[in-house]
Amino acid sequence: MQPIIPSADTIPVAWGWFQFLLLLTFPLHLLAMNAMVGGLAIGVVQHFRGGDSRRRLAHRIAIILPLVIAFAVNFGVAPLLFLQVLYGHFVYTSSILMGLFWIAVVPILIIAYYGAYLYDFKFKGLGAAGKWLALAVLLLLFCIGYFFSNNMLLMTLPERFSEYFQHRDGSLLVSGQSEFLPRYLHMMTGALAVGGLFVALLGRFKAKAAPELAAHASAVGMRTFFYMTIVNVGVGTWYLTSLPKQQMLLFMGRDLAATICFIIALLLVIGVLVSSFRQQLMTTLVGTVVLVYLMSFLRSWLRTDLLADYFNLSQLQVEPQYSSMFLFLFCLAGGVVCVGWLIAKTVNVLRSEI
Amino acid sequence: MNYPVWYLPEIGGGLLIAAIAVLHVFVSHFAVGGGLYLIYAEKKGLGENSEAILDFTKRHARFFLLLTMVFGSITGVGIWFIIALVNPAATSLLIHIFVFGWAAEWVFFVVEISAAFVYFYMFGRMDSATHLKVGWVYFISAWLSLFLINGIICFMLTPGSWLENQNFWAGFFNPSFWPSLLFRTCIAVMLAGVYGYLSASFSRDDSVRISMTRFSAKWSLLALLGALPSGVWYVMVLPEPAKELVLGKSPTIAAAGQWGVASVIVVLGLSLIFGFFRPTLNTRTTALLAMLGALVLMGSFEWIREAARRPYAINEVVYSNMIFKDDLAALDEKGYLQTALWVQDRDIGPENQLEAGRELFIQQCYACHSLKGLNNDLMPLTSHMSHQALVSYIGKIHKIRYFMPPFAGTQEEASMLATYIASGLHGKELVDPAATSAADPGQELFESNCASCHEAEDLGPATEEMDKDGIAAMLETLDELSDEMVPFEGSEEEAAELAAFIYFLSERDETPPLPVAVDGAVLFESECAACHAAEDMAAALEGWEPAEIKEALDKLDEFSDEMVPFEGSPEEKDALTNFLHKLGREN
Repeated sequence: MQPIIPSADTIPVAWGWFQFLLLLTFPLHLLAMNAMVGGLAIGVVQHFRGGDSRRRLAHRIAIILPLVIAFAVNFGVAPLLFLQVLYGHFVYTSSILMGLFWIAVVPILIIAYYGAYLYDFKFKGLGAAGKWLALAVLLLLFCIGYFFSNNMLLMTLPERFSEYFQHRDGSLLVSGQSEFLPRYLHMMTGALAVGGLFVALLGRFKAKAAPELAAHASAVGMRTFFYMTIVNVGVGTWYLTSLPKQQMLLFMGRDLAATICFIIALLLVIGVLVSSFRQQLMTTLVGTVVLVYLMSFLRSWLRTDLLADYFNLSQLQVEPQYSSMFLFLFCLAGGVVCVGWLIAKTVNVLRSEI
Repeated sequence: MNYPVWYLPEIGGGLLIAAIAVLHVFVSHFAVGGGLYLIYAEKKGLGENSEAILDFTKRHARFFLLLTMVFGSITGVGIWFIIALVNPAATSLLIHIFVFGWAAEWVFFVVEISAAFVYFYMFGRMDSATHLKVGWVYFISAWLSLFLINGIICFMLTPGSWLENQNFWAGFFNPSFWPSLLFRTCIAVMLAGVYGYLSASFSRDDSVRISMTRFSAKWSLLALLGALPSGVWYVMVLPEPAKELVLGKSPTIAAAGQWGVASVIVVLGLSLIFGFFRPTLNTRTTALLAMLGALVLMGSFEWIREAARRPYAINEVVYSNMIFKDDLAALDEKGYLQTALWVQDRDIGPENQLEAGRELFIQQCYACHSLKGLNNDLMPLTSHMSHQALVSYIGKIHKIRYFMPPFAGTQEEASMLATYIASGLHGKELVDPAATSAADPGQELFESNCASCHEAEDLGPATEEMDKDGIAAMLETLDELSDEMVPFEGSEEEAAELAAFIYFLSERDETPPLPVAVDGAVLFESECAACHAAEDMAAALEGWEPAEIKEALDKLDEFSDEMVPFEGSPEEKDALTNFLHKLGREN
């Protein structure tokens, strides 16, 4: 039976622009999300294990957490927008099929966000309850990730769209799909690894003001990155083998560009493992940012291939209105200048305080 | 139609949108006006060299950050989520037309949160001049966010010349853009003042509480002054149907309008008291009352704006139920269930009329009507309607009530929907629409034309002073009685029959004539069908002429001892003869 797939709306500029913007912004969201989830996870472990330096590190993470949540959400807006432009007819449908869970993301996030502020502002006052609060926030964030993984997988499974008629209330989840668990774990393990780097970076900022804390943060962060990346190589392999054979082979020669990208990513994994083992924070950080971009490209290739029987981006009809894009680019340039100015002024203050 | 419907019959998607949207706009407008307020509160503190006012400003900034960054920004994403779940067709269109408008708004969102964090965390740590500039960066980016969102929201109500040219800029700078921007800016400033009351009421320092209460009152009062003309301008630029709805034609808008006026009085009254007479009366309780007033004001404004767009989600483009206006004619011709994408069973027959009707309800009515829910519950609205009344009502629903979308589909589908509502929801007897006919033609006309809105027992007393001719004359000018009625469109005879039926709804000296059944199908059902199946009769009467049938009806006892000659009136005999002749011919 042919899957039910809605028709797509027209787009104002060639699809390549949106694909470019999607692939540009999505990794930014991933990096912020990883810092949020992974950073908090490390903070929770530190808080539970106790001791002065661990507690101080947990506090540093608590202070930065609300900012990181804000940017994780904010950087998620742009890719979700461009995703809807390119794949709206799939992702609107999948969202409705799991509507009850999808809308639950909003209240869960609000609770988690306020929990994070409470953890930050009342870190000392909360005493032992603080670590439990942090754990609760972390679990809520894992829950949000679980729903996102469900939706992003479901949108690539149009053959399951007809299950709508048994789930008109939006109660469908695809957690039972064989590739779901490795996909979700791959994303979350990656978050823990990159969260390690984030914690190490936090320590770097405190190198002069609090050298002991910085050393502890660096040690914990780099160690977490190293071990979690090794674990994630295993989880990633599981994910790859859980894919339909056709898609698995996509990265093993069926598509030359995808295969080359995959090989470069694997080499980069080895590179960041070595540099993290050597405690080379900045090298590892740069390598990881590139790696996250490459992984996003692979993810995009996979989605394109999973939908290939039903849709490809070149089918989107263009009704050209490029002037609106120039508005965006103009605003983007202005925005970058403003944020740059804000960062410069803040750094000046922070430097003067050391 | 192109997308599945997220179906929660007891809740309704509209209620979910309203709940998230009203709370969001209450905070997001504060996020704009509050930014400006912080700048001037800080300047006031600096100008008066008052540490206490600067402390107040910092505390207010913290409250501002916690409310706008968390609740404001996440509910903003929440609106996006919920509208995409409830009306993906319209959302998709808005996303695709204005993608770069949304993207630019995202840029301002990035600047906004960056500046908000810097402003709060650097308060007292950064030199004042730079800190104030950060405040301005925040406010300008927040206002530009409003500028962009305003264009897209206004497009939904007044798409203007976009309808002809599909141009991004024509859609963005649409007819209601500027009045709405001015109005919303005023509201944002008013909210800054009202939130200021709340922060001031928590101040332990009485001089700060009084000073900042007065300061806040100026914001609210000035903004309310500006909101009045901009609100009038806003209404003036609305297209005629929307203007009529806003000015009283829509009952939901009329109700929301009353709440709006009451809330303005509350906010205005408290602001006058706080600003000019007794700022000491600004306590936590009165401040919360002002907040509540502002929330109701915001809610009623958004409710009115949404309701004024009805029956459309995007005016003149797509209806609230995701059906595009341009698709209507084709749907009426080919049938909705044969055309829509998300239909479980297209093979419609007598055995699945209820299921088909339910499908039509979900796809065409549920967008605005819940079932036993809080929002616009369909159950009490249709409880008194018969199947026939519903069929008639559904057929002219948009004509009678402009704010409801027209039914999209064939007459048969309208009947299925009526069957679902009358039988499936209200448990009334399932009626085969092909075989329905009331015994009294006046009653039938009443069911078709009046019963969807009027109960017979209500109409009786209302017409007891009138005679039949008066009622018949009134039927021709119903539009003069109410905007929601149209003149009776039947023939003179039908008007007389309907008038007679209505006439006898109230107590009269004369006795109503006995209803006469002249429908052959009904006569066959009552006189023959108990013993004869229609198919058998069709076969038996094949080749018979009407005269032969009529003659046979007079001597049925000659055919069988179990039959008696037909005893109806000459008209009834003619009707039965015609029906039987038709049966024979169709065989």
